[in-house]
Amino acid sequence: MINTLYSLDTLGSPMAFFLALLIGLGFGFALERAGFSSSRRLAGIFYFTDMAVLKVMFTALITAMLGLSYLLAFGWIRLDQVFLMPTIYGAQIVGGLLFGVGFVMGAWCPGTAVAGLAAGRIDALVFLLGAVGGSILFNELFPLIRPLYMAGDQGVQMAYTALGLSRNVFVLVFTVVAVVAFWVSEWAEKARTGCAPYLGSPFLKAFSLALVTLAAGLFVLAPAVIEIPGKSADTAAAAAVDEKALMEKMERAQDHIEPEELANRLMAGEPNLVVVDVRPAAEYNAFHIRSAINVPLARLTEVLQPHKNKGLIILYSNGMTHPAQARDSLQRQGFGNVYLLTDGLQGFRDRCLKPVSLRSEPLTEPDAARVNAWRAFFAASPVPANPSVAIASINAAVPRVVETDWLADRLGTPGLKIIDLRPQPEYNAGHIPDSLSLNVDSLRGNIRGVPSMLLPPSMLAAQFSLLGLHPSDAVILVYGDKLHDATLAGMAFERLGHMNCAVLNGGYAKWALEGRSANAALPACAESTYQVKYDADDFTVDFQTVAATLGKAGAVIIDVRPADFYAGKKSNEARAGHIPGAINRPYTEDVLTNSSLIVSFKPTAVLAEVYRRILPAPDAEIVVYCRTGHQASQAYFVLKHLLGYAHVRWYDAGWTEWAARQELPVVNDTQSRVPVK
Amino acid sequence: MKTESCSADKGSQPYANPYLAGVLLGLVLLASFVILGAGLGASGGIARIGASVSMCVSATHTLGSEYFGKWGANPLNYYLVFMFVGTFIGALFSALLAKRVCLQVERGAALPVSRRLAYALAGGVIAGFASRLAQGCTSGQALSGGVLLLSGSLVFLVCLFASGYATAWFVRRQWHD
Repeated sequence: MINTLYSLDTLGSPMAFFLALLIGLGFGFALERAGFSSSRRLAGIFYFTDMAVLKVMFTALITAMLGLSYLLAFGWIRLDQVFLMPTIYGAQIVGGLLFGVGFVMGAWCPGTAVAGLAAGRIDALVFLLGAVGGSILFNELFPLIRPLYMAGDQGVQMAYTALGLSRNVFVLVFTVVAVVAFWVSEWAEKARTGCAPYLGSPFLKAFSLALVTLAAGLFVLAPAVIEIPGKSADTAAAAAVDEKALMEKMERAQDHIEPEELANRLMAGEPNLVVVDVRPAAEYNAFHIRSAINVPLARLTEVLQPHKNKGLIILYSNGMTHPAQARDSLQRQGFGNVYLLTDGLQGFRDRCLKPVSLRSEPLTEPDAARVNAWRAFFAASPVPANPSVAIASINAAVPRVVETDWLADRLGTPGLKIIDLRPQPEYNAGHIPDSLSLNVDSLRGNIRGVPSMLLPPSMLAAQFSLLGLHPSDAVILVYGDKLHDATLAGMAFERLGHMNCAVLNGGYAKWALEGRSANAALPACAESTYQVKYDADDFTVDFQTVAATLGKAGAVIIDVRPADFYAGKKSNEARAGHIPGAINRPYTEDVLTNSSLIVSFKPTAVLAEVYRRILPAPDAEIVVYCRTGHQASQAYFVLKHLLGYAHVRWYDAGWTEWAARQELPVVNDTQSRVPVK
Repeated sequence: MKTESCSADKGSQPYANPYLAGVLLGLVLLASFVILGAGLGASGGIARIGASVSMCVSATHTLGSEYFGKWGANPLNYYLVFMFVGTFIGALFSALLAKRVCLQVERGAALPVSRRLAYALAGGVIAGFASRLAQGCTSGQALSGGVLLLSGSLVFLVCLFASGYATAWFVRRQWHD
């Protein structure tokens, strides 16, 4: 198995830069050899005088495609180790059409122009300068172009999946089309210029035959071996046979896994088995199959991306409908390893967890023993750490809120990073071992005149690099007496698409009160290169969006500030009051502070009930705000991550901005205004 | 204006067999997938250069902008920038080997140099813009994504050639001798 730099997340390392330079050498050399340092030759394809572009490009495409197909078939590389660009039809159709115009006019494309520049072509230099300018222009116009840039986003989509073909069939058809295109090109050149040295030559015949044979050869190879990471090479083959037999068995059962089978695999601590509960968070919190993670349907693709075609993904709910729809959707997105739990959670309860004494039919002795073993395993809650299971679950997704027991069992697990958000003197005096100190105020700054705004992704990533974080880390956020410090830091991670991030319920106060391990040592921390892969922030809204929400049916604006500020009785801002139509739900109502001053979330069932009464529907459009975005981050977390509301937005600029923009409407319940000092 | 004669052109060697050059290019691309886990790319490097130019003009404006901003204060710190430099050196090596290095503006004899350069500039602006929109150019999107059989990349490839052929007639005079 090859590990690509992309899969190791080290494309930003000096080593990667050096290797990219070497690959670039080969790229430039091949382009120049092909004669792509001549604009006349490149333009030839559009006038049928010189079809070199087609011949070279399609040969390269077919060569690399066949090579990659064989590597995949032999199991030497997996497709998820390669960066797969999303299919965005709007952007790629318009982009392609525009690019074609630029290509014909300039008679260069970016890569060939570099080769042309090396061969002394001044027109290539001018083209490159134009392309630099075009990129800058794109950046300047980006706010206008954004809708097109994201229009028709399909996520990662394979052409063969979209066409309903198998990969091998598509590869063969593509190869045959390319070979036909080669012959047509030769013929066109002959007709146009009278000169086509390769037309009908033994070389072209042999070359065509070789490509088609290689494409057809893929059918002969065994179907792709499913690799189980963590097993040594000599057992991998045997495991693959088991795995294949299982797949075939499941195939016959229409991609279902039986409860007993799942129970046994979970008890065996099988690595790379991801069990996903797609029910609402409240139901999940009430009861779930041990080690299952809770993912709302809307976020399935994103959360499961790292497990795509790796190991097994098992979906379950109460019944079968939702998971089946989710499975179909995932399958369309190229997930080939998603299975359903037969009869859902109910089936699992009836067939595995129902006590022997309550069963209508008597069980044989071994079956009864099996049931008792399952019951002991699945009914036991918080289970002592089995290190290998813990590591597997860190690589999977952690829940959004973790308890101190959970964290204590996993201290020291690779890939687990604890971030302590308390002020520095308190951190210095003692903290959870290896935790990193972070001041949440360093995640905010003035953005275009508005103070206390969450920083842009690049600046957050720069801080995460200094903290030595990696996008694959499971991050645990630890707060002192302000739970909303943790949720604000959570917003920073969410802005970077880092969803494997949880809040330690009760914070450091609970940890300390329980007498758990702590020290005052600074953690060992090597700087990392935390790269912004894409801007994941689709949840922060500006005042225009909020203004557009006013009076919209089904939309709810929640002001989470204390009631006096909402009412306008108190104010320390430009104007007093609240956004018209906003309802008041102070953020303090969502947490409990006990006698030892430990702040924790109210039980999810309680919160679910409260918000069910406040909010019209689970799919309501919700905007939360406070004064600076800090307290509202907590409401956002509760609604989005604890209760599973799908459309929650965060008005970060909040009352600070709204009150100061005199053109925006304000509702003020009282005429008497008491300024707050 | 006359086409400048290029003495180096006379001794230059013929181009390689396009199919063999294609196999070489395909193997380089395969190596890129296996080693880097990402395909070849050229416009990415160019855009990074654009971002660093923009940083020189106004760092605050660039960092605050939505697209370039996410590349951080040092946009050149990116693997595709290094690939871009490598591409230049590799091509220079090949061109020197084949005695093809020659300072010239390639165009049809009937076309003034200024017109050809204006076409090249306009083409560059459009291609630079379009490759940001489509998240890649002929190398990064059409070729690399095509190898991965991604729907969007193949659609981009088809659209690119469709509009190329549709436009070609209008700019054909560039190559009339």
